[in-house]
Amino acid sequence: MRRFIISLVAAVAVVLAIGGAVVAGSGGGSTVTRARLERSLPTEFANLYAAQATMLGHRGVTPASLHPTAMCDKGGAVEPDVGPGSNWNCLVSWTDPDNPMPPEGYGKFELDVHTNGCWTAGGPSKLVGFATLTDTSGREVPNPVAEFDGCFDPNGDNSPTGVEFPSLLNVTTTALRPDAQRRVAVQATCGTGSTGCHGSVTATAGDTELGTVPLEVEEEQTATLAFPTPVPAGASEVTFTFHVTQGVGPSKPVTLEMPA
Amino acid sequence: MSTTTLTRPDAAAARASGGRTSVGLGAAVRWEARKLRAQLRTKALLVGALLAPVAVVVVVSAQSRPPKDTLFGRFATDNGYAMALLVLGFASQWILPLVTAVVAGDIFASEDQHGTWKTVLTRSVSRSRLFWAKVLVAVVFGLVALVLLAGATIAASLVVVGQSPLTGLSGQTIAPHAALGLVAASWATAAPPLVAISCLAILFSVWSRNAAVGIAGPVVAAMVMQLVGSLGGIEAVRPYLLTTPFEAWHGLLAEPRFTGPLVDGVLTSAVWSVAALAAAYVILRRRDITGG
Amino acid sequence: MTTTTRAESDGDAVDVVGVTKRYGPLVAVDDVSVRVAPGEVYGILGPNGAGKTTLLRMLFGLIRPDSGTIHVFGRTWAHDGVRTLDHVAGFIESPKFYPYLTGRQNLEGLGLLDGTWDGRALGDRIDEALDVVDLVGREDDRVGGYSYGMRQRLGVAASLLRNPRLLVLDEPANGLDPAGIRDMRALVKRLASNGLTVLLSSHHMDEVEEICDNVTIMSRGSVAFHGTISDLRAMAPDPGHLLRTGDDAQAAAIGHDRHRDVAVEPAPGGGLMVTGPQHELSSFVADLVRAEVPLLAFTPTRTPLEELFFMLTDARSEEVA
Repeated sequence: MRRFIISLVAAVAVVLAIGGAVVAGSGGGSTVTRARLERSLPTEFANLYAAQATMLGHRGVTPASLHPTAMCDKGGAVEPDVGPGSNWNCLVSWTDPDNPMPPEGYGKFELDVHTNGCWTAGGPSKLVGFATLTDTSGREVPNPVAEFDGCFDPNGDNSPTGVEFPSLLNVTTTALRPDAQRRVAVQATCGTGSTGCHGSVTATAGDTELGTVPLEVEEEQTATLAFPTPVPAGASEVTFTFHVTQGVGPSKPVTLEMPA
Repeated sequence: MSTTTLTRPDAAAARASGGRTSVGLGAAVRWEARKLRAQLRTKALLVGALLAPVAVVVVVSAQSRPPKDTLFGRFATDNGYAMALLVLGFASQWILPLVTAVVAGDIFASEDQHGTWKTVLTRSVSRSRLFWAKVLVAVVFGLVALVLLAGATIAASLVVVGQSPLTGLSGQTIAPHAALGLVAASWATAAPPLVAISCLAILFSVWSRNAAVGIAGPVVAAMVMQLVGSLGGIEAVRPYLLTTPFEAWHGLLAEPRFTGPLVDGVLTSAVWSVAALAAAYVILRRRDITGG
Repeated sequence: MTTTTRAESDGDAVDVVGVTKRYGPLVAVDDVSVRVAPGEVYGILGPNGAGKTTLLRMLFGLIRPDSGTIHVFGRTWAHDGVRTLDHVAGFIESPKFYPYLTGRQNLEGLGLLDGTWDGRALGDRIDEALDVVDLVGREDDRVGGYSYGMRQRLGVAASLLRNPRLLVLDEPANGLDPAGIRDMRALVKRLASNGLTVLLSSHHMDEVEEICDNVTIMSRGSVAFHGTISDLRAMAPDPGHLLRTGDDAQAAAIGHDRHRDVAVEPAPGGGLMVTGPQHELSSFVADLVRAEVPLLAFTPTRTPLEELFFMLTDARSEEVA
């Protein structure tokens, strides 16, 4: 029994030492990379989207006609775009005349990627539909592009694809909460994208300009923009106008009501 | 009357002058195979390999929600090929290691259990011949079990769930006849790591002299490797793990097909097999048989 | 490893020279040499733990000696591998078989491992061997259901299958009932009378005395005696007897006064322990009768050879201690 335990401990120690040396020598060495996902996801998406079009009876959609491209990112600007995890986001752009892209030009897919190079992607329901769809014969069938699995070659092409999309800036505040001096602030989130969101925001309440503050938000980060001038007593709403130089901002000014 | 022929020294001398040939691998293999056939556990395992997949397929196909968290699970309830691949992914986690280890992990330790090392090693068979005969029988048994499991799974899947075009791992549609070939090939890719697991079980069996360790050891090792291989940050060890080759079939279902992991898997399995067998061989050759 | 060494040992069935085996600090076999001539029945005698089994295991190649050489019919493990056993058969300790196979299946398998491919010839030989050991009728039962004695006999049958020139039996009577012991001894004698060389280990002096020509007595791993049974008999001490009388004091006094060659001492369990040459004992007893000492019992304690065996092995134990 003692011989047994000693051998076992020795074997485990040797395995750990070798494993540690391998990991240390390679610096992580994950085969899960941005480039591989950016090649794998659009290929599969195009095949499945064409299959969906067939189910829906849309004509003229082929994998080739979609010209899909993708830009993938893991965990925003703070994390390197390598390794497995459920915090991969991919922006996918494709061409379907019946189903045009939104102004930012892409839809966002959320991916859970495993160490073995297989992943599960969930598509944006606004662009690809919900989990089930009604096919041409009227049956409820699973939507192939709502959620799908794929695997990429862990030894596959790892050169950058060069696909980049701008981040999308969204105002997440739905109701203003002025402080004691009736000053207001608004929260904005910068989505996945290549450069983050930069520019400025101007707030106006009626004729009173509340000020202009600079906008510097990294990808997948949220910033609170506070305006120095109090809102005049008579003003019932505040309008925020975005001048975004990097990234995509709201095309129209955002107007929020003051609480009564 | 019989005593005289058996023990008459001149008869023995005549026989001796003709020379007793030292026993070849064939006889030792025949003997090991016969012992294996006589064991209830072997038969039970092979029958189980035929029946268990049928039960699994029936149960899974009756689920109202498909098991989406496993590869091909989302199609498994309405596509027989996907069902067969789902079962493959599931089986390779610990079922395949267990099935092969039940025989490979016991084949050396059972001689210790029955005290029969001295019985067989005092005949005309050398330790190395006996070693290779046992290795051969254990490995072939593992492969037979794999073939039965694969055949039963594929047949049950196609009969119970049905045949329709399969959606591959690149979203491509695979026609049924092509899908059947790919599914069978996918099951076949489990053979190299299965052989390596057998060799690992043989090492555990020789080293521990205990069938329980011989059987549980490789199964636990496979599960640990499975876990380690799924962890992020230490993926550099993945190519050296024995469980990585069990996933090499993914490449066959992609478009374009990739076979790099398959080649790496065969290499990894070969290295593990050779290392385990070499260690087991040295341990057995050097061992003093004191028990029994 | 010169050819002369091999030629010299060719004449012997077994030639063990200076063999030593250590397990850590324990010396299991210490510089033991044994030479067995063809055709003789050779006994290795010793208490349990004396190293007999370790020595026989080394002969069979199950254990590798740390030093020394073992030739079997001129062959060595280093030089000839498993062919060293070409003319050897036997078993170490109690013979072990596969319990889930029948007696016949076990023998068939072992026949395969002997290189006997011809199924019919093997079947005939198995029948013969079963007949010799009197297992006919039970050969198709699983060995798992065999009694100890049946397994012992199956072990002999398995050995005979090999058509050996040397039969090695390790404690063949161990665990057998008196009838089984009698049968086993008769079998060994019968085999030996047909010219088979037999190397037998035992811890029973009477067994060795009954069937062996030559004997090596081992104690604590080394050789305590080496020679023929007649040599051993000549060395044997005077027989000891337990004397029970109605008046031990008077009996002891008669012994001390008139029989200087007879030692009379109180026995641990009561009565008197009397040791001396046979003729002195007779006259001592006659004197007791003449002196009207009531004689209750006068029984030999151990045979002279047993006495010698215990002396040889115990003395050595004390020496070591």
